Amino acid sequence: MTATIAKTTCPYCGVGCGVNFTIPDSLTESVPSVSGDLDHPANFGRLCVKGSSLAQTLKSDDRLLAPMVNGEIVSWESAVDTVSAKIEQVIKEHGPDSFAFYLSGQILTEDYYVANKLAKGFLGTANVDTNSRLCMASAVVGYKRAFGSDTVPCNYEDLELCDLLIMVGSNAAWTHPILYQRIVEAKKQRPNMKVVVIDPRETATCDIADLHLSIKLGSDAAIFSFLLQHSAQMDILDNDFIAQHTNGFNDALMQAMESTPNLVSTAKFSGVSEQALMTLAHWWEKAERTVTFYSQGVNQSSSGVDKCNAIINCHLATGRIGKEGTGPFSITGQPNAMGGREVGGLANQLAAHMDFATPGAQKLVQRFWQAPNMATENGLKAVDLFQAMEEGKVKVVWIMSTNPMVSLPDTAQVRRALEKCELVIVSDCKANTDTTAMADVLFPATGWSEKDGTVTNSERRISRQRGLLPAPGEAKHDWWAICEVAKRLGFQSAFSYHNVHEIFSEHAALSAFENNGKRDFDIGHFCKITKEEYDNLTPVQWPVLKGRPEGTKRMFEDGRFFTPDKRAKFVPIVPVLPVHVATPEWPFTLNTGRVRDQWHTMTRTGDAASLTKHTDQPYVEIHPKDARQLGIEDKTLVRLTSPYGEALLKAKISRAVSPGNAFAPIHWTQQFSNAAVVSNLIPQIVDPLSGQPESKHAQVKLEAVKNVSYGVVVSATPLDTLDFIYWCYVPSEHGYHYEVVWSVGENVASIQSSFKISDQVAGEWLEYTNPKTQQIRLAYINNQKLSVAVYLHAKPDSISCDWLESKLAKNVVLSELDRMAILVGTPANVEDKGSIVCSCFQIGSKQIEKAVAGGACSVETLGATLKCGTNCGSCLPELKHFIPTIIELSA
Amino acid sequence: MKPSSRVRLVIVGAGMAGSKLANDLQQTLNTHYSITLIGEESKVGYNRIMLSSLLANDISDAEMPLVNTDKMRVGGVHIISGDPVIDMDLGTKELRLASGQSVTYDKLVFATGSRAKMLSIEGASAPNVMGFRTWQDVDVMTALKGYQSVCVIGGGLLGLEAAVGLVKRGHKVTVFHRSNWLLNRQLDTESAQLLQNRLEGMGVQFRLGESPSSFLQSETGLVTHVVCHGGEHMKVDLVVMAAGISPEVRLAKKAGIEVNQAIVVDEKMKTSHPDVFALGECCELEQQTFGLVAPIWAQIKALITVLSGEDGRFVIEPTPTKLKVSGVNLFSVGKIQPTQGDSCIFFKDVAANHYRKLVVNDGLLVGAILYGNVADGSWYFQLIQNKTNVSDMLELLVFGEAYCRPQVA
Repeated sequence: MTATIAKTTCPYCGVGCGVNFTIPDSLTESVPSVSGDLDHPANFGRLCVKGSSLAQTLKSDDRLLAPMVNGEIVSWESAVDTVSAKIEQVIKEHGPDSFAFYLSGQILTEDYYVANKLAKGFLGTANVDTNSRLCMASAVVGYKRAFGSDTVPCNYEDLELCDLLIMVGSNAAWTHPILYQRIVEAKKQRPNMKVVVIDPRETATCDIADLHLSIKLGSDAAIFSFLLQHSAQMDILDNDFIAQHTNGFNDALMQAMESTPNLVSTAKFSGVSEQALMTLAHWWEKAERTVTFYSQGVNQSSSGVDKCNAIINCHLATGRIGKEGTGPFSITGQPNAMGGREVGGLANQLAAHMDFATPGAQKLVQRFWQAPNMATENGLKAVDLFQAMEEGKVKVVWIMSTNPMVSLPDTAQVRRALEKCELVIVSDCKANTDTTAMADVLFPATGWSEKDGTVTNSERRISRQRGLLPAPGEAKHDWWAICEVAKRLGFQSAFSYHNVHEIFSEHAALSAFENNGKRDFDIGHFCKITKEEYDNLTPVQWPVLKGRPEGTKRMFEDGRFFTPDKRAKFVPIVPVLPVHVATPEWPFTLNTGRVRDQWHTMTRTGDAASLTKHTDQPYVEIHPKDARQLGIEDKTLVRLTSPYGEALLKAKISRAVSPGNAFAPIHWTQQFSNAAVVSNLIPQIVDPLSGQPESKHAQVKLEAVKNVSYGVVVSATPLDTLDFIYWCYVPSEHGYHYEVVWSVGENVASIQSSFKISDQVAGEWLEYTNPKTQQIRLAYINNQKLSVAVYLHAKPDSISCDWLESKLAKNVVLSELDRMAILVGTPANVEDKGSIVCSCFQIGSKQIEKAVAGGACSVETLGATLKCGTNCGSCLPELKHFIPTIIELSA
Repeated sequence: MKPSSRVRLVIVGAGMAGSKLANDLQQTLNTHYSITLIGEESKVGYNRIMLSSLLANDISDAEMPLVNTDKMRVGGVHIISGDPVIDMDLGTKELRLASGQSVTYDKLVFATGSRAKMLSIEGASAPNVMGFRTWQDVDVMTALKGYQSVCVIGGGLLGLEAAVGLVKRGHKVTVFHRSNWLLNRQLDTESAQLLQNRLEGMGVQFRLGESPSSFLQSETGLVTHVVCHGGEHMKVDLVVMAAGISPEVRLAKKAGIEVNQAIVVDEKMKTSHPDVFALGECCELEQQTFGLVAPIWAQIKALITVLSGEDGRFVIEPTPTKLKVSGVNLFSVGKIQPTQGDSCIFFKDVAANHYRKLVVNDGLLVGAILYGNVADGSWYFQLIQNKTNVSDMLELLVFGEAYCRPQVA
């Protein structure tokens, strides 16, 4: 069978890896597969486990296939009419700001461009915000304050070329695995390269760290404030650079000396040892080639922008910018967060890296767009937008490809806002998300592999995401839907694109329009790009000026910035701690983040069964000391309460968090679990400059949920009722797998009756009861096929359900021996793998332990025997923990 | 040692225990003992356990021998068959046989076994009321012609085996059983129900919780009807008594040896009289009698050790029960009805006729019932015998050795 291989871009994190997508000739006979693109400069052929599993996400049972209005399927024609009539009405009655777009770093640059153009140029509102607000808005403002532009100076090679890499608030090992692997490889090649991790948690990223500063939550700025004054003290300033290319150094230094006068006070403020801080300072002194790599741990903070500038100050003061192996490097979490920034898809941006405040920008954009109705000032940022919605000021919202019911802080507020909003339009490729549940109008969108356009990764590299598979059902591209609404609102000529490359070339033309080097973002080379050229576009880093098609590897090499006087600006920084502090009533600080194998709200990764094996359920990480005091045992259910809401999560007892702190991953939605939406707990506190929420900091109390039994249900069909204290749906290859918690007192009869199996069905129950271990296990078998299996234990037990689930596959007939094995969970002759560590090769903890017991003494030998860790490498940090450390101790 | 100087050892009873003892002794202590084996049956040294299979036509006569009597004879064992001992003198150490022959011993072993218990109801002595103990009994049953109505009294192991054998031979069989469930000493109600379903499927009929009140006899003295409790008359051609066994102790008692329910022995198998031993179904140790083969084999081993002059001891251990009905698998061992402090672990797959119940106490397995799939029976038996601590295996114990072995290792 022949197949076509096409190049496209991964839709997950901001690394933006190139993907080879193999499309079989017949999609009915075979399925597409993916592999890393050897030619792509982001990944050179590597893919992480999420990227490697992309093919599994192509077929979803839950695609939204037709437009719907108030729950009824309607034609596109009718849905678009409904939407445009309502927009027209509210704008007429309440003004343009009664309409808002809430977009996403997952839509493509071209989608973003037309949405921004419609709102800011034609409807006259700047209410265009995006979920990127939640992820890197602080980094944007930080760059703008320092450079006069939102410019990422560095590229990925700098991570490999530096002598000191400071990773701040980033668990790249899990969130940006391919960059992390590049760093690991570089460090192997150059063992003298130092890696420092600054993070309250001991994450998998710490595995390659020569130094880990386990700082007090939110205290990052103090570390860099100290480094700035220390640089002056140790006389490692780049005085020429400061003099020729910057402003405001003295003020910033004075503030640093005041805020962080010495090592002792800084160490105390940040909760780290003086020795550790001194080590960092020494390394900083010596390493001219330093990259500071930062992510959500810096950005998601009430002082996120200041933290960014504290970092940038240090790089400017030492001239560690615009050179190989240097720079303050913000890494984004979404595939096209950068593309959204480039078109101006944030409420405080205008277009093409111009702001409302940029002198002449409004007129320039108006001229270019021939816009009848230009917005004149910043719109509402995400949290403000939803608050305005609740206040009734925003009456129509069009949410595109994002899930604010899960990702925005204070879910209860978001719910109230969406309930209040007169028309909620949701464009998504999924039918059932926590947000589609709130929609009045649903637009079926194309998804990855169908969408066609461009994305920009964290190093300013524009890559094509190609439409390779046909759109299912009535699914349409987002830009098309926006244009259809725009045309009905009377803007035919400005929105009559026939092809996506026309949008891109217009975007390119705007970036170059009256630019002349004034603005960083200029891709004028593509002003007249043809469809063929667009389709063959190879990854390139902007700016891509006319006559310079090769793009730009590194920015600020000439020391000239994009402020009016071309000088960078130091910002005096006063380090502060998060807004809320622990109180007797709310004694714990909840930090949030991600797990290795899931992405965002699981609307995509949730379709890949293999990705659930590493972490199958949401959890809250608690220090053993706190757990002991609260009577919480590992894997038992914990109730988290904050002033805003509640969540039920399984405990993960670990020294990776400090006492008084807790950590919970953000991914699980109500589609997957009844009470695991962590944003329920998070206050709507934002950075005043960037509007980015302090999502990594909530005050909570923790409480053991007592008198419960734990269990698993696997079923051939989805369960009708999920009447449990806790349930979590764990996507699996076959059938439906739920982790559940019952109240105590369930017995065989009550469980059997709760499954309401019809008397008409001539099946039979299998039963295992063990009062010694308080176990009940039941299975219903109908015509030699497994219908449902229920395991109930007094204690939470991890049962590997792989084999059990395989028995739910179609055409599987149970053998005599299988029947008993069903109640065990494994056949007697099959190895129990334990929990999966290496997702790529599905290698489990027990297999690894066995190999180690059998003499494997390094990660390499494990890789050679079991293959684990030899593909994406994201399990390497965990693999290391299996290798006994006795040798080191005795040495 | 010359033959004449060897100790004269006489074994009374040539059933399984006596025959095997003679055989094993001959193989180990032939130089010390001159062995005489005396049996009342004409057939000697056959495997009584296999009578059920023989009746059910699952095996042939050729598969019946337990020991090779020809070889024993060549080896010097003196075998007397069809000639029961009717009297003995402990003082002169002389035995008198039914034929009038007398035999002198230095050491004597009682292996007289047991007889079917005959219910003391009217008509129980009729010629067509029989036990199910001997090859002769099987010969009688196999000789039955045509479609006969048979009433089996007793739903224990023997009764059920007889019932199945007879059903397979084309007869109509009704089993009366006093308890409310079959094999009430080996099974619980649920497993017994599975067994009953299965046997009913084979054609056996049951009247549980019921004993016949009397038998009606014809003029010729044959039982023609069983009178049921409700007064109902059930026509029968043959009655098989399988309502338990009585140890055969008459000779010992008459000779003045201490007898309780059976001949009282110590752990060296010695009776109250020096030089006289007993083993098998006719003996009693610590108020217990023995009906299954495993402890009896252990008694033989212990006795041979004792007879060799060494320190042999027989220790009572639980013994598993199996039912020899082809296609029916059940296994029962140890304490199967829990009392305080015991916990029961269950596995039930009723539809697949698979049932397991384990009784656990204080980290030890103390009893097990398996029905349907009994492959793990011997493993559970070992765990009970070895008093293995099963605390770490409790989660998987009921699923059998294959699941637990990795944890043990």
